[in-house]
Amino acid sequence: MSAPPATGAPTTDAPRDHSVFDSDLAGKSLDLRLLLRLLRWAGPHLRPALGSAVAVLAASVLAVLGPVVISRVVIDGILYPTPGAAAPLFGMDRVAAALGSATGLGPLASACLLYATLVVGWSGLMYVHRLLLAAAVLRSLRDLRADLFAHLEHRPSSFWDRVAVGRVMTRVTNDIEVLFQLLSGLGVLLGEFVPFFVALGIMLAISPTLTATLLLALPVAALATWLFRRATRYVYRAIRNSVSALNQNLQENLTGIQVVQLHRRERRNLERYSEINQDNRKHETHAVRLETLYGPFLDTLVSGALGAVLWFGGRATLEGAITLGSVVLFAQYLDMLFRPIVVLGEQYNVLYRAMASGERIFQALDWDEAVREPEHPAALPERLAGRVEFRDLHFGYAPGQEVLHGVSFGIGPGERLAIVGPTGSGKTTLIRLLGRFYDFAPGQIFLDGIDLSQVRSTDVRKRVGVVLQDFHIFSGSVADNISLGDPGISRERIEEAGALVHADPFIRALPQGYDTLLSERGQNLSHGQRQLLAFARVLAADPEILILDEATASIDTRTELLIQDALHRVTEGRTSIIIAHRLQTIRECDRIVVLQDGEVRESGTHDELLARGGLYHTLHELQFEDAVA
Amino acid sequence: MRRLLPYLTRHWLPFWGGISGLLLARLFEAFIPLLLKDGIDSIAAGSPALALPVLGIAACAVARFLTIVVSRRRIRYLGIHVAYDLRRRLYDHLQRQGPGFFTRHATGDLMARAINDIQLVRQLVGQGTRTVMVLGFSALVGLAFMFQLSPSLTLLLLPPLPLIGFSAYLLARRIYAQSVAVQEGFSELSERTQENLNGIRTVQAQGQEAQEVLRFARVNDGYADRYLELMRTNALLSSLMPALGALCTLAVLGFGASRVLSGELSVGTFTAFFWYIGMVLWPVREAGNMVNLFQRGAAAATRLFEVLDTEPEIADQPLPGAPEKLGGAIQVEGLTYRYPGAERDALHAVAFSVEPGETLALVGPVGSGKSTLLRLLVRLLEPPPGAVRLDGYDIRELPLDLVRRNVAAVPQDPFLFAESLRENVAYEDPRRDERQVWRAVDDADLRGSVESFPDRLETVVGERGVTLSGGQKQRATLARGLIRGAPVLLLDDCLSSVDTETEKHILDRLRELRGKATTVIVSHRVSTVRRADQILVLQHGRVTESGSHAELMAKNGFYAALERAQRRRGHLLHELEAASIEGHA
Ligand SMILES: Nc1ncnc2c1ncn2[C@@H]1O[C@H](COP(=O)(O)OP(=O)(O)OP(=O)(O)O)[C@@H](O)[C@H]1O
Ligand SMILES: Nc1ncnc2c1ncn2[C@@H]1O[C@H](COP(=O)(O)OP(=O)(O)OP(=O)(O)O)[C@@H](O)[C@H]1O
Ligand SMILES: [Mg+2]
Repeated sequence: MSAPPATGAPTTDAPRDHSVFDSDLAGKSLDLRLLLRLLRWAGPHLRPALGSAVAVLAASVLAVLGPVVISRVVIDGILYPTPGAAAPLFGMDRVAAALGSATGLGPLASACLLYATLVVGWSGLMYVHRLLLAAAVLRSLRDLRADLFAHLEHRPSSFWDRVAVGRVMTRVTNDIEVLFQLLSGLGVLLGEFVPFFVALGIMLAISPTLTATLLLALPVAALATWLFRRATRYVYRAIRNSVSALNQNLQENLTGIQVVQLHRRERRNLERYSEINQDNRKHETHAVRLETLYGPFLDTLVSGALGAVLWFGGRATLEGAITLGSVVLFAQYLDMLFRPIVVLGEQYNVLYRAMASGERIFQALDWDEAVREPEHPAALPERLAGRVEFRDLHFGYAPGQEVLHGVSFGIGPGERLAIVGPTGSGKTTLIRLLGRFYDFAPGQIFLDGIDLSQVRSTDVRKRVGVVLQDFHIFSGSVADNISLGDPGISRERIEEAGALVHADPFIRALPQGYDTLLSERGQNLSHGQRQLLAFARVLAADPEILILDEATASIDTRTELLIQDALHRVTEGRTSIIIAHRLQTIRECDRIVVLQDGEVRESGTHDELLARGGLYHTLHELQFEDAVA
Repeated sequence: MRRLLPYLTRHWLPFWGGISGLLLARLFEAFIPLLLKDGIDSIAAGSPALALPVLGIAACAVARFLTIVVSRRRIRYLGIHVAYDLRRRLYDHLQRQGPGFFTRHATGDLMARAINDIQLVRQLVGQGTRTVMVLGFSALVGLAFMFQLSPSLTLLLLPPLPLIGFSAYLLARRIYAQSVAVQEGFSELSERTQENLNGIRTVQAQGQEAQEVLRFARVNDGYADRYLELMRTNALLSSLMPALGALCTLAVLGFGASRVLSGELSVGTFTAFFWYIGMVLWPVREAGNMVNLFQRGAAAATRLFEVLDTEPEIADQPLPGAPEKLGGAIQVEGLTYRYPGAERDALHAVAFSVEPGETLALVGPVGSGKSTLLRLLVRLLEPPPGAVRLDGYDIRELPLDLVRRNVAAVPQDPFLFAESLRENVAYEDPRRDERQVWRAVDDADLRGSVESFPDRLETVVGERGVTLSGGQKQRATLARGLIRGAPVLLLDDCLSSVDTETEKHILDRLRELRGKATTVIVSHRVSTVRRADQILVLQHGRVTESGSHAELMAKNGFYAALERAQRRRGHLLHELEAASIEGHA
């Protein structure tokens, strides 16, 4: 699904600069490649898009002919006939005459009828145009958004470690909205430019000199637009930047609000926010100053042009060069002549914003950082025996900063293995690799004898269940948090899992039991209660290998013992790995591996390790020091 | 909406000045077709007297330009000012809210209010008020000028107007409802995205990516469908309005022309009418949109003031006579607390007291109310009057700032900002120097880790500290609390992911450091709490046992059973079970 990477996006293992996700993209000058790339998503909806273009073309012609009926047919033909002045009528007189003879109406009435028909035709076509355009644009962007989300959903942990979620999120939400404005704006432009040229043609046919005189005003308008755009471009960018700084500041402050309050940072943070706010006000005021000049200036220009039409047109009429109706027609066309420039001026801002948004969207889509999936994936056996082996495993999150320095040990089928060791020694890292969350070189981890790097990451994660140390609780019901919305997990399974981790009593005491809604990150539960839910979630998925990474660190001893009992029953014969600092957590494990500074220091049974008198012995002594006293 | 009036009355001069300027501009505008009429008429009469109308048009155009520029600015500045002020007030207000508020309002919801609603209110003030008056005036002026030119033809134009206005109004109402639906769809979309990406590691660990993509697709499709509905009505509105407006044009075309033929009307008047129709129809068409803008602005203002009017759960109304500094004595008496909407007390009649310099430990099962108690001690939650006293003062009567300055709490959830370690540790006061930061890092036994990072103190941790190990995160938050050297220190189970050896270092160091300060420490480990001067056992929000380690061991209750269960490898669950109290006691 991922498109060919744009230039500059790193491909495989080169260290990546994630800070580009935080920088504000400039929205370079109009980059047509962006539109070309959008065509990929517009492709399936090309038919309505083309239909909409055809409709707007036809509608424009009708729109331009309306004034012809008023000025040329009615004024020149009926009200103020100028004999001898054979200015072109574009067939409108003949159509009106034909209508007249068909309906038996007088010339004035048939002209009215013709006008009415033109208006009806025009509005009908415009309706079709708007409808088809909206459908095509909305559907293409919907597809783009879905693809973008799916793409992000598969970015690996190494990506999420380095980027700000909020920044990435706005690409899926706001940036695509901006593209919507751009594409529908392009439709509007089309609807303005076509009448412009048709009207210009008609005017040239009637009086080239008067047209040329009027066209002199266009460069002035264009110059004004250009100046306005140049002046506002930086202001608008400054506004956008200050707005996104305001939002980011607020968002960060809200997520860490408890820390803010506990450390009395309110005043300082408000000051910081106010600075950005003032900055924003300054730029907004500046923008208003420019905008209030530009719009009224163009209006004035149109009125000036009206005066010019009256002056030059009037003299030409008096000389008999053109008709009175033509003067009126020119006056009526003035709007159509200037509209495209006005609209262009309005759309410029959108256009530049859209360029930046498009850049951000495609930057995310092109970001091909991924867990390396094997070309010829090996299949895991139908039922895992559960043998795990680490063979001289080296790993670091960043090049040159190794965290694991050659870890080797094995776990037999059905064995319960404990990993203990000081904080930061690499226990969690080891587990993340077993779940294929980060890339590692082949030939270092084996599952049932199969090189794990040759197995697809999704296949691994389906079989290996990890209770994460930093779990996430979603807002939503308790039940949904256990099943994660997986329809394959029945309500009974959910409740069973709840009971297994002994969360059942507290869940049932909640106002709506399993259907109680939890707020963001489960803030209305206690920390331990949240951890129990995260635990239940993994058990509900019924994995073949169970890994507990500090899964009971915030759980009291009684609940923990109850869980151990229950687990003992259900995971009998299943390989499990338990990471814990509290030694009592691992008292039922068959074997213990002691990890320190990314290396295995000791391994063996509890008694063996105690007898050896190493690190484990020390930890044990410390934990139970006063027990002997 | 009425709440916005203070802004308008406070700035009445620019507001009314601006509005009158704009109305004046409409008058200038209305003269232009009149001059056009004169010009056309003189052309029709074959007279070359065109200078007057042409110069008149130019003069009107320039006058209109000047008045509009000056007055439109006045009013739009006002809109900017209102937005600026509301933003500041909202930020300030949000920072004063307690946990109850944030349980009710998700971050996304508050962000939406801060972004979209303020924007809508700004539009309402900066454009809505202006346009409504200008529109109404424009219609009146247009009608008046037409009436003066030809009363009978003007009367003919009136019947279609209500029809146009009414259908515009109906469509605008539909558009309003549909755009609210689109807005909601967008919030849903944002919320889904945010929730999903925040929990992406969990989603991936459970292999639920495909499932989540489907779920997102449903929301995304629904949003696109709703949007399409809105665009459909929009298309109808923007195509139907000109068609209906053509009724007026037709009336002028038919009746006007016949009157010109009969000599009652000049060609110039006939032409000028097309321009005046525009002036009258524009407001009639826009009326619906204006109603929308007002409704949306009003709804936005309501949502904003709903937040701004929420009284902070914690009212900072200190009585006079508060001390400069606290000594660290804590007395708790008859403390009962129930979360709003909960069915049970989280704490029930809790009482204890701690002398300055003493250490109090809290143990108890998951959800027994330990964190709640700590939150009450820093007044993140509001205790009942007189239930919590610091140095003998009711905590509710002390300035909030004093409480928070003297009580340093290290919360259970190790939250770090995506900034450097130094900024995180020195969060309370960024002016702290390097030495102080390192001392705190030492006290939290984090030096080894920090020195192993290439950027040391300048290491930027990921969002929420994701690039640190669990224990590193906890110790960084601990350092952030310790650096303050406050007379009261609250530690909420903040060593749970730290190994025993490190924990012992930290505890020893704490004892050394905090000889004269009061410490309250929550833990599930007996080894952590055993040296405390006083240990409280909390179960279901009640204190079931209290005393020193030795006293509690002698009591042979829950604590003693806990101690044995943690010490021995044997299976001692039944003892613990026997010593636990049941839920609904
Ligand atoms: N996502 C990451 N990016 C970069 N470095 C990381 C990341 N996660 C962990 N580290 C670093 O790797 C080292 C090992 O961390 P790990 O989480 O594996 O330790 P641990 O043994 O699980 O510790 P704890 O007992 O505290 O949970 C630490 O120094 C940590 O700072
Ligand atoms: N914001 C909240 N709204 C409603 N109920 C809450 C809220 N926070 C906590 N509770 C409930 O109050 C009770 C006590 O919670 P508290 O966080 O004090 O427990 P705890 O003893 O700290 O538990 P743990 O050991 O898991 O941290 C729990 O039943 C919890 O579900
Ligand atoms: Mg707690």
